[in-house]
Amino acid sequence: MFGGVFGGGSQKPAQSAPMGGMPGMGQGQGQMDPNAQLAAAEQEMEMVTDMFARLGELCNKKCILQRYSDEDLTKAESVCIDRCVAKYFQVNREVSDKLAKLSQANQ
Amino acid sequence: MSNPFTRMPSQDERAAATKVTDSCAFKAGFSGIAGYGIGLMFGLVLSGIEFSSPVDTTASTKQQIKTVIKDMGNKSLSSAKNFAIMAAIYSGSECMIESYRAKNDIYNSIGAGCITGGTLAAKTGPRGMAVGCAGFAAFSAGIDWYMHKDD
Repeated sequence: MFGGVFGGGSQKPAQSAPMGGMPGMGQGQGQMDPNAQLAAAEQEMEMVTDMFARLGELCNKKCILQRYSDEDLTKAESVCIDRCVAKYFQVNREVSDKLAKLSQANQ
Repeated sequence: MSNPFTRMPSQDERAAATKVTDSCAFKAGFSGIAGYGIGLMFGLVLSGIEFSSPVDTTASTKQQIKTVIKDMGNKSLSSAKNFAIMAAIYSGSECMIESYRAKNDIYNSIGAGCITGGTLAAKTGPRGMAVGCAGFAAFSAGIDWYMHKDD
């Protein structure tokens, strides 16, 4: 009875939007596409890893106490980590929006 | 479906259970129940020490014993109720203050102590509430300092 309530609730990872393709690539050049795709995927992987490392270091420094009396996170620390991650992504989003607006204004 | 009493809980079940037990309402309720139990013991001990109301000496011994035990039980229950309310208010307010501040230090205990002392002394007017707040805050700060001084 307990398992049935939560059994069907497995989450699927959010589909991330594909990175912007190389500008100026035609559809007919089949030979370059796999390389371009590979490069784009590598770049995205690097960006995600970098973001994860920065996020982990930032929230660790800001939220985790130096008092290691217990292995579980206290309520304060879990709340702080939730807020830290949400703020980081929101800041990322706003900065990229502003950059997009600036680049549009410059064109 | 497999028997939930004989299998290990799954990751989802454990996460859901952790979410419930880490919530402020559950902590307050659990503290209230624990406070009720402690209050029962305390009330029993206290009723033995306190001066009890005069017993009707003309009644038989069995009747006298019954009266005294009933009185002890009443005192116990009222003390248990007070302890339960105090523990629930303290635990709930400390959890809420900690969630709001996102910090884990002694000021959570001080704030929770002030709220509890003020609420329990609400009948005695604002001055009584201030005194209750200060007293209970000092007490809970002392206990919290003692519990965490070796961390």
